Amino acid sequence: MIPNAGDGGASRPAVPGIRIPARSFRLPHIRLFPTSYSDNHRLFRQSLWMDTRIPMTDSSPITVTTTNRTDAADRFAAELHDVRFSYDDGASWALDGVDLDIRMGEHVAIVGANGSGKSTLGRLIAGLAAPDAGTVRLMGETVYSPDARADAEAYRHARHGIGAVFQNPEDQIVTTVTADDVAFGPENLGVPRERIGERVDRALAAVDMAGSAEADPTRMSGGQQQRVAIAGMLAMRPGMLVMDEPTAMLDVAARAEVMAVIDRLHAAGTTVVHITHGRDEADRADRIVVMEAGRIVRIESGHRGAGLIDTDRTNDTDRTNDTDRADTSRTDSAQSDSTLTDSAQSDSDRVDEAETPSDPIITVDHVSFAYPDGTPVIRDRSLTVNRGETVAIVGRNGCGKSTLARLLCALDVPAHGGISVDGIPVAVPRGPHRISRAAKRADLARLRRTVGYVMQHPERQLFADTVGEDVAYGPRNMGLSEADVADRVTESLRLLGIEHLADRSPFALSGGQQRLAAIAGILACRPKILIMDEPTSSLDERASARIHELLGTLRRQGVTVVLITHHADEMRLADRVIDLSEAFPSGGEPSDRRYRSDRHPRRSRVRSSFVAKLDPRVKMTTFLIMMFTAFAITTPAQLAVAAAIVLAILAAARLSPVKLLHTIRMFLALFAIMWVLNLCFTQSGTVLATIGPLPITDDGLWVATLYFCRLVLVIVLGAVILHTTTPTAMTDAFEALLRPLQRFGMHTDELALVMSLALRFIPTLTAETRSIIDAQSARGGSIETGSPAKRLRAAVAIIIPIFAGTLRHADNLSLALDARSYEGGAHRTHWHRLAVGWRDAALAAVCVLYVAAIALLPFVV
Amino acid sequence: MSESSHITNAHATGVADSGRWSTKRIAVYALFVALTMVTSFIELPIFPAAPWLKYDPSGIVCLVAGFAFGPAAAAIVSVLGFIPHVFGDPWGSLMAVLVALALSVPASLIYRKVHTRKGATIGILVGAVCAIAIALLGNLVVTPIYAHMTVAQVAALIVPILLPFNVLKMAIHGVVTFLIYKPISNLLDKTGKTAK
Repeated sequence: MIPNAGDGGASRPAVPGIRIPARSFRLPHIRLFPTSYSDNHRLFRQSLWMDTRIPMTDSSPITVTTTNRTDAADRFAAELHDVRFSYDDGASWALDGVDLDIRMGEHVAIVGANGSGKSTLGRLIAGLAAPDAGTVRLMGETVYSPDARADAEAYRHARHGIGAVFQNPEDQIVTTVTADDVAFGPENLGVPRERIGERVDRALAAVDMAGSAEADPTRMSGGQQQRVAIAGMLAMRPGMLVMDEPTAMLDVAARAEVMAVIDRLHAAGTTVVHITHGRDEADRADRIVVMEAGRIVRIESGHRGAGLIDTDRTNDTDRTNDTDRADTSRTDSAQSDSTLTDSAQSDSDRVDEAETPSDPIITVDHVSFAYPDGTPVIRDRSLTVNRGETVAIVGRNGCGKSTLARLLCALDVPAHGGISVDGIPVAVPRGPHRISRAAKRADLARLRRTVGYVMQHPERQLFADTVGEDVAYGPRNMGLSEADVADRVTESLRLLGIEHLADRSPFALSGGQQRLAAIAGILACRPKILIMDEPTSSLDERASARIHELLGTLRRQGVTVVLITHHADEMRLADRVIDLSEAFPSGGEPSDRRYRSDRHPRRSRVRSSFVAKLDPRVKMTTFLIMMFTAFAITTPAQLAVAAAIVLAILAAARLSPVKLLHTIRMFLALFAIMWVLNLCFTQSGTVLATIGPLPITDDGLWVATLYFCRLVLVIVLGAVILHTTTPTAMTDAFEALLRPLQRFGMHTDELALVMSLALRFIPTLTAETRSIIDAQSARGGSIETGSPAKRLRAAVAIIIPIFAGTLRHADNLSLALDARSYEGGAHRTHWHRLAVGWRDAALAAVCVLYVAAIALLPFVV
Repeated sequence: MSESSHITNAHATGVADSGRWSTKRIAVYALFVALTMVTSFIELPIFPAAPWLKYDPSGIVCLVAGFAFGPAAAAIVSVLGFIPHVFGDPWGSLMAVLVALALSVPASLIYRKVHTRKGATIGILVGAVCAIAIALLGNLVVTPIYAHMTVAQVAALIVPILLPFNVLKMAIHGVVTFLIYKPISNLLDKTGKTAK
C-alpha cells in the first residue's frame, strides 16, 4: 500500500499561481513553495456548483471556466510529465515516459493499437489510477509527484471535476431507474437533495434522453446506455470528460448518437479526452495523440489544423456538423456499395430464386421468432446460404441478426417456420400454422459437429490453463484420440497465427489474442459451417486483419461462412450481403430492441399508487412481518382476515391481479403440487372419497387448502414489494434499517450499495451464464449427459468463464464507481427523502391489525 | 476488514484509504452477491429418489468468495445472496442463509490459517459437515411450516432422503470448488495485477 501522502500542506508541491516548466518537476526545489492548496480547492468546488459552468443545452450561454480562472495553471486540465506505469512491477512498461498537456476546453483524441497504453493513459488522466513515476497534475492539482507520490486529498478533489466513460456501457450502470442512476454521482458529491433533480433533468436533456428518466437503463440499447452513462457524468458537472472507446460496442447508428453528444459537449466548453480506434472519430479532435508501445510517438492536429483552442466556437460547431454529414454519407455509400453485391436486396424471396442454381446448405423457410415477452424479432423470414459461400448478414441493432444465428445453431426454437442446416432438420414446421418443433437430440448432436458458432465476445468462454488445452476442449468432447486432438489444435492455432501462444494462459493474453484463441477453439471442431457474430467488434486493425485473412482461408477451404457484421470492409469480403432490417421498414423500432417505451405508462401508474408512495423502510418491515407470520395462520377466520388485508394491499398497489399471477405462476404450480401432497398425506378426519388406496379426508382438504393459501399470501406480498419498490428505494431502506449496526463496526452504507449493485447485475450475469452454457455446449460440453467425470469437466468449463466474467465486471464496475466519485461517508446525500407519512401510519395500523387477528382470533372464534 | 490479499491496488490514488471499503471491494462483493443470487435460482435434479429436492450451485460461489476474500466476504455473500428469496420463501431463505454460512465461513477460516491445498480440503470437509448438520436441523424446523408434517415424520426422512441428498450436494460443491479454485485464484492474482 502506498502511504497516504496527504498529511498536511507542507509536503505538498502544488504551486498555484505559478506554472512551472515541465522539466523542473524533476527537481526538488518545488518544495520551496509550500503553499496552502485550500484556496484553490475552494474555488474549484465553488465552480462545481455554478450551474452555468457547463451549459447543458445548446442554447445555454457558453461560459467556460474563465470566470474562475485565477492563475495560469488552471488553463490546463491535465499535465503529465515523464510518466511511467507498469502492471508487472517494472518488468515491462505500459507507459514509458509520457509527456502530455491537455488544455481546458480542448478536444484530444488518443489513438493506438491494442496494448499501446492508451487506456492506461486514459485512467491516469481521469485520476482513476496513479503512475509509478513522473508527475501528474489534474484540474490544477498536483496529484502525483515523485516525492509525495499519490496525494489522496488532491486526487479526490481533482476527480470531482473529471468524468470518465468506458467501453462497456452496461458495467457503468449502478441501478435500474435511469434518473436514479444519473443521480448517483451528484449524491456522491454531496449535492444538496433539492438541487439533484434539476441536475438529473438537465443531464438527461443534454444527451437527448429526457423522456427516459423512469425507464430501466439495463434494458436499453448500447447507444442509449452509453448516453445514460455520459449523462451520469454530466450531472456531476465535470470540467473534463475522459472517454475510453465509448463507441467500441455500438453499431453505426448508436455510434453517431454518441459522437453527436461528444461534439456538443465539446462545443459547450467541456474538455474532452477521447480514446478511440476509429480514425474518423479521432479526426474530430483538436489534437490526435498517437501511442505506440507505451510512448507518444507523435501528435497530429485534428480537423482544425493548428489545434489552437481559441478559435471561434461557432465555426467549430459548423465544422463538426460538416464532419457529421460527411460521416453519414460515407456510411451510406458503403452500405449501398454492399447492397449492390446482393442481386435482390429488397425482397429476400426473390434473392432465393435468383441464387438457386447452386447447392443450398442452409435453408430458412418463412421463420418467425419473438422474445419471451412477446416482442417480435424475426417475421416470416426466408433465406438460403449455398455450400462454400460467405454470406454477410447486416442490419441495424435489433433486427434479429444474432437471433438468426442462435436459431441456426438450435439455441432458440422459432415460433413458426422451418430451418434445415446441411440436411439436418433444425426446426420443423408442423400443422397448418407451421408451428416449429425443435430438433431431436440426435440431430442436435449432429448439428453441433457441423456448425461452429463464434458468438459475440467469444473470448468470454475461455477457461483452460493454457490456450492449447482450451482449443483441445471441443475435439476432446468429440471423442477423438489424443494424437488427433493434438493435430487439430496445432492446425487451428496455425490458421489464426497464434502457435506461439499454445502454452500461455488464455487469461494472460491481450484482448485481441484472446479473441483469436477462442475462435481457434471453435475451428478445432472443423465445422463445415461457421457462424460468426461480429467477430472483429472492439478489435484493433491488426487483430481484425487476422480475422479477415482467416475468412479468405476458410473460403478457399470450402467452409460456408455466415458473418454478422456492422463493418463495410467486412461486407466486401462476402459473396453476398443480406440485410435483415428490411423486415422492419423504416419507421419501425429505432435501433434498439430491449427498450420498450410502452412500459412507462403502466410503470408510472404503479409508481404513483398508495403502496408505491409508502416509505420503503416501513413497507419492507411491515410486509416481512406479515409474510413471516402468515405461517401461523391455522383457522378459517384468520385466513379470511389475512386474505382480506392482502387483497386490499394488492388493490392499493394498483397492480393488475392477472399480471401479478402471471409473474408468480411458477410458484403457484409448485404450491399446487404441495396441495396434492398435503391432500394425500393427511389421513385424519372424515373420509370423503378414496382414490385407489388413498383416502381423501375433510381434514386433508382443509390442511391442503390452508397451506396453499398461506403460501399464496406470502408470495403475493413479496411480489407487491418487488413491483412497487425501486432498487434505489430498497437500498435506501436497507441502509437506514441497518444503520444501528454501524455502532458495531458494520459498514452499513457499503453493504447497502453492494446489495443494490448486486440486484442490478442479476440480469447481466444471468444472460452471460446462459451464453457461456450455450457456447460450451456448442463445443460438445454438456452437464446433462455423459459420465460423471465428463459432466464435471463440462461444469468446470462453464463455471470458470462465469467467474472470469464476474471478476471482469467487478473491475469495470469499481472504475465506474470511482469515476462517479463514490467515497461513501456522511457527506453523501440522498436524492429521495425517506419520510414517514400518514400512509405509513395507516400501513403500520393494518399490520398491527393483521398480527393481532392472527394472534387473537383462535381464542375469540 | 483487510484480510484480503486480492483486493489491493498498488496504483491506488489513495482516495479509497479512509477506513471505508474501496470501490474495488464493493464491486467484487456486489458481483459475487449477484452471482450467488443468479446461481441460487438454478435448479438441477441430482437425486432421483427425491425429485423435489433440487441442487443449486450457489454454495460454490460462497466457498470461492470465502477462499478468495476471507470469512467476512463469505458471510456477506452468504447472507445477501439469498435475500431475493425472502420475498418468495421467507423461512426457506433463512435456512438457505444458515446452510451457506455454515459451509463457507468455517471453510474460509480454516483456509486462512492453512493456506494450502490441504487446508482447502480440510476447510471444505469441515464446512460440509457443519452445513449438513444445519440443513438437517433446518429441515426439522422448516418442513412442518410448509407441509403438514410433524417433526417426527420429517425425522423419519433423514436417513433415506435428506442425509444422502445433502451429502451428495456438498460433495458436488466441494469437488467443483476444489477443481476451479486454482484457476480462479490465478485470475484473481491477474486482476489484482491489472488493478495494480
